[in-house]
Amino acid sequence: MSAAAQREARRTEALDSFRVRGMPHRRFEHWRYSDLRAVLDAGQVAQAGTAKWNIEHLPEGVELFDLSVQDAPEWVMKTLGHVGNRRTMVEASLAFSEGGVALRVPKGKHIAEPIKLEIGGQGNLRWLIVLEQGASATVFEPHAHDAGYLRNVGVEITLAEGAELQHVRCAPLAPRSFTVELMALELAKHAKYYGHFANFGSRLSRTEAHIVLGGEGAEAHLSGVAVLGHEAHSDVTTHIEHAAGKTLSTQLFKHVAGGKSRAVYQGKITVRDGASGSDSRQTARALLMSPRAEADLKPELIIFNDDVKCAHGATVGDLDPESLFYLRSRGIPEKDARRLLINAFLEEAVDVIGNDTLKETIWHDIEAALPRAMEAAK
Amino acid sequence: MLEIKDLHVSVDGKKILKGLNLKVETGKVHAIMGPNGSGKSTLSYVLAGRDGYEVTGGSIVYNGEDLLKMKTEERAAKGIFLAMQYPVEIPGVTTMMFLKSALNAQKRARGEPELDAMGMLKLVRAKAKDLQVSEEMLKRALNVGFSGGEKKRLEILQMSLFEPKMAILDETDSGLDIDALKLVAEGVNTLRAPDRSMLVITHYQRLLDFIVPDRVHVLAGGQIVKEGGKELALELEEKGYADVVKVPA
Repeated sequence: MSAAAQREARRTEALDSFRVRGMPHRRFEHWRYSDLRAVLDAGQVAQAGTAKWNIEHLPEGVELFDLSVQDAPEWVMKTLGHVGNRRTMVEASLAFSEGGVALRVPKGKHIAEPIKLEIGGQGNLRWLIVLEQGASATVFEPHAHDAGYLRNVGVEITLAEGAELQHVRCAPLAPRSFTVELMALELAKHAKYYGHFANFGSRLSRTEAHIVLGGEGAEAHLSGVAVLGHEAHSDVTTHIEHAAGKTLSTQLFKHVAGGKSRAVYQGKITVRDGASGSDSRQTARALLMSPRAEADLKPELIIFNDDVKCAHGATVGDLDPESLFYLRSRGIPEKDARRLLINAFLEEAVDVIGNDTLKETIWHDIEAALPRAMEAAK
Repeated sequence: MLEIKDLHVSVDGKKILKGLNLKVETGKVHAIMGPNGSGKSTLSYVLAGRDGYEVTGGSIVYNGEDLLKMKTEERAAKGIFLAMQYPVEIPGVTTMMFLKSALNAQKRARGEPELDAMGMLKLVRAKAKDLQVSEEMLKRALNVGFSGGEKKRLEILQMSLFEPKMAILDETDSGLDIDALKLVAEGVNTLRAPDRSMLVITHYQRLLDFIVPDRVHVLAGGQIVKEGGKELALELEEKGYADVVKVPA
């Protein structure tokens, strides 16, 4: 069967699967805080078309394949639609997107310059990246402000032995849009993934990552910030599976919610039988800036092995009044003191971004988003 | 400099200060001594403008202005400084950045030119040396992991940088060993000036051996019950509070 025919077959399969299961809703285990069916129906997803992607400048050494060309090479075929489980919105992005982009970094190649993958417009989209053995790269994934009504992105990432990927996803303010991005990652031996998910407010935003640490010594380090105001809804859902020994995962998410916004974090960690010597840590904290803002933080651990270390913590709170008084008593006006304390709260989750330019970009977006997040509900 | 008349203050509905009168002269060091629970910390917080301290009666006039009408940050810009008993730890804000933000905020409020990073660094370095505040401390998050002595030294460093007109030192001696106490007291003494008043609040007379006050006031049951010269502190130390003051019911 030709690649094009295989893709068509896979697309039909995805379409059937999406039709049977439909839109995720509250009674889906992982969608209890973000009821997508209540705001969107399956027909809208199907008719949304294909979202846009753009890479202005491709760093030397990175291979690119445009997924709108049906006759895909073998490395694309091995990955596209095959990484991770087949969740319903993943199937939708596969069934309804006409295009997208596939990237590959060959064995041993180190790409220093970030690959800037811009995503815009409305509709479904797929992108994938394959890092071969010992390769390393940074992907910066900024989303456009005008997200359109709906965007549903399916992402696949495979990291071969010793490969290292830094991934910074930045979703700016888009108060009218529904944005869903589901990522599936597979990490081989000693591969490392550093993911940062920043969100500055959509009508409903869902960022989901399923990570399988499949090889010994593989590591996933997730961090993220959400700075939300008005009626924004941001949902970060992660599932990290420790499937091999001595695997490590860390997660650090900090959310600031003002107005009537809602910040959701669900983090599930599964430690498989064979994952002896694994270590997982997760921290999620939320700062509520208004009595009508809400945060739901839900860490979850499923462990099938005794020889592991797992630590998790989740706290929701307000700015510390003692700290606020201290700063004000030194002459810092209340508004500035609040900003200083919010920045201090977010700092450790931004500081882990490995690339200084990207770190600054995120800080810049935080500064822009803060005034909204600091408003009380209207 | 500061005149407090018949001040009544409640916290969570509980009356703490019950008609306190106090006059602080320009350029003088006044000590407030009193047993636990007499309202010493409440007085310092009311002067600095902390939320949750409800003034139900009386007045505080500071340099001819109604202090109670000013916001916390406004008081700081106008020269009120409170060295706190328990300086807060703020992770994520470096000490140096905090000092710069605070000093420039005060300067901005007074319409004075702000200091740039270089100017600030020079100024802080010069002042930090005498107080044994290291460069390393300045780079760390504010008060995080500082020892008791380091925290108090940093409070005095702030006092030296902000050059307040009215400095209030709340239990500055608490948690300090004798060497740390001497260092802090020395720092305070060098800041004594004809245009700067100080209110030294303490439970023990020990601190007043090193920071010798011009006037001593005894606070008990929410009122100033006795006043005198520096010898009053010694008397209190010898006899204890119970013998010297009759606590009003």
